[in-house]
Amino acid sequence: MTVTRAPSSVLTSFVIASRYLPVYMAILLLVIVASIWAPEALGGVGLSAIAPYGALLGITALGQMLVIMTGGIDLSVPGTLTMAAVLMVGVGQQSDDRIGAAILAAIGVAALIGLINGILIGGLKLNALIVTLAVGQVALGAVNRYGRTISVQSPVPTGWSTWVSTRIIGVSPLFWIGVVITLLLVVAFRYTTVGRRFQVVGANPVASRVVGLRVNLNQIAAYVVAAMLYAIAGVALAGLLRIPGVSSGLPYLLGPIAAVVIGGASLTGGLASPLSTFAAAIFLTGLNLVMRVMGLPTSLQFVVFGLVIIGGMLVSGDRIIKGVEQVFRERRRPNRIERGTIKSSFDGTG
Amino acid sequence: MKRTTIIGVLTVLALVVAACSDTASTTTAGPGTTASPGTTAAPATTAAPSTTAVGGVLSEYGESTDADPDLVEKALGPVEPSDEASWNIILASIARASQDLDQATIDKALECWASQECDTGSGGDLVMGYADGGGNDVNVWRSVSHMEAVLQALTYPEIGTIVSTAANFDQDPAVHVNQVRFLIQRGVDFIVGYPDVGVALAEAVGEAEAAGIPYASFSAGYVGLPDQEGALIPGEDYLTVVGEDLCALGESFAEILNTGVGTGEVALLGGTPNNALSLGWQRCTIGALGDGLELVNPPANENSTTGDTYWFPPAIPPVFNGLLTANPGIRGYAYEYADGIYIGLGTYQELEIPVENLTLALRTDEQTLFCDWAERNEPTYNIWYSAGGNFQSRTGVTAAMMSLKGAEIPATVIVPHVMRQVTPENCDPNRVDPLVSGTSLVPDDVLALMFAG
Repeated sequence: MTVTRAPSSVLTSFVIASRYLPVYMAILLLVIVASIWAPEALGGVGLSAIAPYGALLGITALGQMLVIMTGGIDLSVPGTLTMAAVLMVGVGQQSDDRIGAAILAAIGVAALIGLINGILIGGLKLNALIVTLAVGQVALGAVNRYGRTISVQSPVPTGWSTWVSTRIIGVSPLFWIGVVITLLLVVAFRYTTVGRRFQVVGANPVASRVVGLRVNLNQIAAYVVAAMLYAIAGVALAGLLRIPGVSSGLPYLLGPIAAVVIGGASLTGGLASPLSTFAAAIFLTGLNLVMRVMGLPTSLQFVVFGLVIIGGMLVSGDRIIKGVEQVFRERRRPNRIERGTIKSSFDGTG
Repeated sequence: MKRTTIIGVLTVLALVVAACSDTASTTTAGPGTTASPGTTAAPATTAAPSTTAVGGVLSEYGESTDADPDLVEKALGPVEPSDEASWNIILASIARASQDLDQATIDKALECWASQECDTGSGGDLVMGYADGGGNDVNVWRSVSHMEAVLQALTYPEIGTIVSTAANFDQDPAVHVNQVRFLIQRGVDFIVGYPDVGVALAEAVGEAEAAGIPYASFSAGYVGLPDQEGALIPGEDYLTVVGEDLCALGESFAEILNTGVGTGEVALLGGTPNNALSLGWQRCTIGALGDGLELVNPPANENSTTGDTYWFPPAIPPVFNGLLTANPGIRGYAYEYADGIYIGLGTYQELEIPVENLTLALRTDEQTLFCDWAERNEPTYNIWYSAGGNFQSRTGVTAAMMSLKGAEIPATVIVPHVMRQVTPENCDPNRVDPLVSGTSLVPDDVLALMFAG
């Protein structure tokens, strides 16, 4: 019995461990491509260009990852992110003394948006796709309305844009913020009960409900925390752009989802790796830079970017490795049928 | 099933993004385009006799060319007049900008500027349509241009209603098309607008013209450059385009870079991919760059723009990141959008590349950049600009009104330009809003109310 179960167990462990592997392979491939056709992207200036925007996408993607882990999806990211960026202007009023208040306002309003999403989806069981799309539109509408009360395209406080552009240990502070958030999530998922429950509830909400875990609360919390992460990204973006405008978050609809998927998350909920998600965000930002350094026309950049996302969806998660596992099992099956051990060999090894 | 659904939705989203980008590319340019005769040659603007004569003849259409020279210089700088037909219409439009506005007019202007539809109170029968691909809420330049058009309309007692639409830079051309169709359905008598989506707007503009509604664009807003596939021909397919001679503008940019940089790397920046405005001047800038200059981002072909920023703040830093990563020693840029350069200079700070030995050739003149320049006080960093051109929407209104009164309007109303070097005086700390062009003809008290905050 032990002899027949062993290969499958090893494969299963490998499946779990390898679902996050493609993103690191992608980064390796990107480095190889860049070293040949765009070596400047691997230099100091190139890495400095990747760090802040990669972190910004990474923070947003981590929020999206939390939602996807609950089996949902969040299309309110552009609205929430834009709201945060514009609040940085409106509440900030170009005064360095108001930076703290502006950040708090941005995160607070975002949390409210997340709470609305969470209640509608986790509490009232409405479709996540439609709800978040609608709430995002409402947020964008509110931003536009709010934008009329401030001077459109006004700058953020100078102190904020200056700080965002400084370096901490030679790297953008936004990168370090992204790293810290990533590590916090890693620790939470691995070493805290709350984190482990969060994963379990996402992976199997029915069973979780049976054992008494509060699935609804889990979903609501995911949307709230996610929205707060979008807000952090929004205030960071405002600092980077200096004049964010009322549509600054619009490009952040697809990118974070792509990063989560390429990072190996299961779109059906449950498994996800903050580290891989953050790495995927860095990869996508790096890819963007490499294409620009290579001088690809804008149209071709879109094509390549889209193809990479599709490719990432194809090879990420357990799609490939499960296929390999299936082939391996099929090849072993005839021998066992002959020996009459098929049932005992594979039962329960899933 | 759930996973399949989500993947399906993601695929649709990806396709939408791809479709939008593809549309932007294919609807604003086409194969087989070579030169840009409509934009390079002032002779294309052959004047009709009725508009070539000065003052007295235009009075036939209720216009005067007796514009305040100070306002003319404010709007354009110390320019040489363009062809007579164009120049007369420009003077007529600026003559109407000499307004001593009473509070009632200011209130009405603000109402019309902020509303989709307003009654001007004049009792006039005409309905003016204003179709902006941007909008008040998304861009200061668009916002001010809209107000210029509103104030101009209020000088015509014949205009009783103003209907305004804004596509807010929507990436879906259908949104822009629907705005024009809405104006047609609303029964406007003429449309003034900026066609951000280029030839994608051709069908709607054609429908307007077929319905007897003249369409006049401003800021060199061609509905596709005349030699682009699918483009409409101004003067034939629609009333007119108000704007600079794009090729001359591009050559002026090149001259600035040739002189200011001399030897070294330069880059060109533009707006949405293959838009007519950027394509028009970039073609001629490239052709006029001196031998000592190396263009680090040449376009894929002569029908493509390069340095596509979409004139959209979040899209600007990645462009600068790409350019500076490969070429940290870039010594000059040509671009339409001064404020976009201001955003791009943030990238210099992030990449720790000093802003020095830099020459900028720009079209617009947002104060933000100029004040930033003054603050840097870097003698090897110089900016040259043309003019913000907000007032051109006024010229569009006047051209349309003259047309309705029977005047023949040139196919392109050429707005003359001159490149001016930025000096510390260009930064006015008391300016109502730092993003408002110094060349706008909207009175300061109106601007103050527009951007009251």
